[in-house]
Amino acid sequence: MTSRHAGWLRAAITAALVIILVACPAWGSDGARATLIVFAYYAGLAQMWNLLAGYAGLVTFGQQLFIGIGGYTLAVGAERLGLGMWPSFALAAVVAGALAVPVGALTFRLKGGYFAVGSWLVAEVFRLAVGNSAYLGNASGMFIRPARTVDPWTVYYLAIGLLIALVALVVVTLRSRAGIALMAIRDAEDAAAGLGVHVWRLKLLAFVVAAAGTGLVAALITVQTPFIQPNAAFSIEWSASASFMVVVGGLGTVEGPLVGAAVYVVLQDMLGATGEIHLIVLGAVSVVVMLVAPRGITGFLRDRLGWTLFPVARHPPRVAAGSTTGSRAA
Amino acid sequence: MQLIETLINGCLLGGLYGLVGLGLSINFGTMRVVHLAHGDLIVLAAYFLVLVLVPAGIPPLAAAALVVPVMFGVGWALQHLIVQPSLGRRSDPGVGGGVLPPLIVTFGVSMVLQNVLLRYATADARTLQSSLASSGVTLGAITIPTVRLVDFGVGLACLGLLLLGLGRTALGRALRATSDDLDTARLLGIDPRRMYGLAAGISAATGGVAGVLLAATSTFYPSTGSEVLLVAFEVVVVGGLGSLVGTFLGGLLLASAQLLGAHFLGPSYALLTGHIVVLGVLVFRPQGLLPRTAP
Repeated sequence: MTSRHAGWLRAAITAALVIILVACPAWGSDGARATLIVFAYYAGLAQMWNLLAGYAGLVTFGQQLFIGIGGYTLAVGAERLGLGMWPSFALAAVVAGALAVPVGALTFRLKGGYFAVGSWLVAEVFRLAVGNSAYLGNASGMFIRPARTVDPWTVYYLAIGLLIALVALVVVTLRSRAGIALMAIRDAEDAAAGLGVHVWRLKLLAFVVAAAGTGLVAALITVQTPFIQPNAAFSIEWSASASFMVVVGGLGTVEGPLVGAAVYVVLQDMLGATGEIHLIVLGAVSVVVMLVAPRGITGFLRDRLGWTLFPVARHPPRVAAGSTTGSRAA
Repeated sequence: MQLIETLINGCLLGGLYGLVGLGLSINFGTMRVVHLAHGDLIVLAAYFLVLVLVPAGIPPLAAAALVVPVMFGVGWALQHLIVQPSLGRRSDPGVGGGVLPPLIVTFGVSMVLQNVLLRYATADARTLQSSLASSGVTLGAITIPTVRLVDFGVGLACLGLLLLGLGRTALGRALRATSDDLDTARLLGIDPRRMYGLAAGISAATGGVAGVLLAATSTFYPSTGSEVLLVAFEVVVVGGLGSLVGTFLGGLLLASAQLLGAHFLGPSYALLTGHIVVLGVLVFRPQGLLPRTAP
């Protein structure tokens, strides 16, 4: 898909998807609504994880920190401080993003796999600290009473709107100079630094953006639940599901997390939301995908058929005829 | 007096923590992989001992001796079936800067192990019933559980064996050569796959020893694997990457921090105090206690 028609086709497919989602009250049941809300927040979570692992080269198992912080910000704002639901919702992004600055500054001292576990450790610190706080309801958590009166269709539009906004944010970021620099860092950090890319600053920027986005996803989850508890909110399972969705869908693509989230939600539906079998399957599938088709479902489609939905890949200006133009993201 | 007792206990428990960290350190030192299933391998060894070997009527000491070679085999097999194939994916530019594949597969193995244990061994608390756990050694006003002395002694012995094995034997030299300079090692006829399999096996064998000690020292659950992984990680970070002696000392520091936290703030603050000390080390001494010394 290199011609101008591809641009139109992509726009048409994207628009059709958005219209189908927005018109859900016309065709969907309550069950469809609930499933799509879950899909939207998992897709948002995966999109943010992919921004880190797929574009900034930051593989992390600590994103549950921002799920917990975003959720508790909403809970404290709406339930304890009486700031109102929607101001608290917005505040979740601010608090998560602000916390990401010191957390990133600290954990970036660790590289590669140690960074991944180091960020998990920071999330554990917050899980234990929140569990020891009587103000936050200790380990039994707290209800968010104002959230009970929110209309489910409001939550639905919030979820769809948030997902579209997060996808748009990623696409716009990747098409900007910062996006090129990020991908350069991922592909060759030393070379990027040598060319004058501010590696540390850009990684921190990506970390903060992903934290803020994850904080909003968390606020959405907490409005929908409407209950929060430290062991669930700061659970490693958030990072497990995020990495599953991104790896299975396709790392370093905008479509990948969306496809991965769809697979995740279908699997969850088939196997039950909690329980060991679900997690055994998730673990086993990520291992198999990583060994057999490490670029995931969308990577497979892109390599074999040249399909992409969002135009964020960059191609060298002149490519010899017959080579696989669409096979590599920047 | 109670404070001194806490400190001594912390240092002794630190022997087990150090051993837990050594396994992670060996894996990372040789192939630059942070093995996210290391904690679960340790817990797997503990379950194997408590649910399979001991009920089969094998005397505890013989059973413990059996766990270690079995775990060596498990680590070796896991390396060849899953971790090694993922290393080949590191050069794929579509797969995120190289660190991702081994992290994803080891994390996947961790999820599978933990939940298989949860499903088939249930979430019940387990421990190894032995005379070690209930007896103690009394020195004046201080009483130390015998099992903690064993933790420390065995941990220290494992450190000594590893230092000797890596420092003085031909195989150890080959392992270190693979770690220091892969291409040159290959030129000299060392097969890196064999070395990686060996390192993964040794790492899992230390995990087997740690699993036996864990079973004798405390109760454990399937989810203990994640806690143990974090302990291993913290010990390595505090000790300084690439130093086995540093890793061991990191274990002493972390265990002391946890027990002091429990002593002053209450038992629910033990883990939190340990975590905060580790983050403090990361702020003020990011290179750890003994970075990059021998071997």
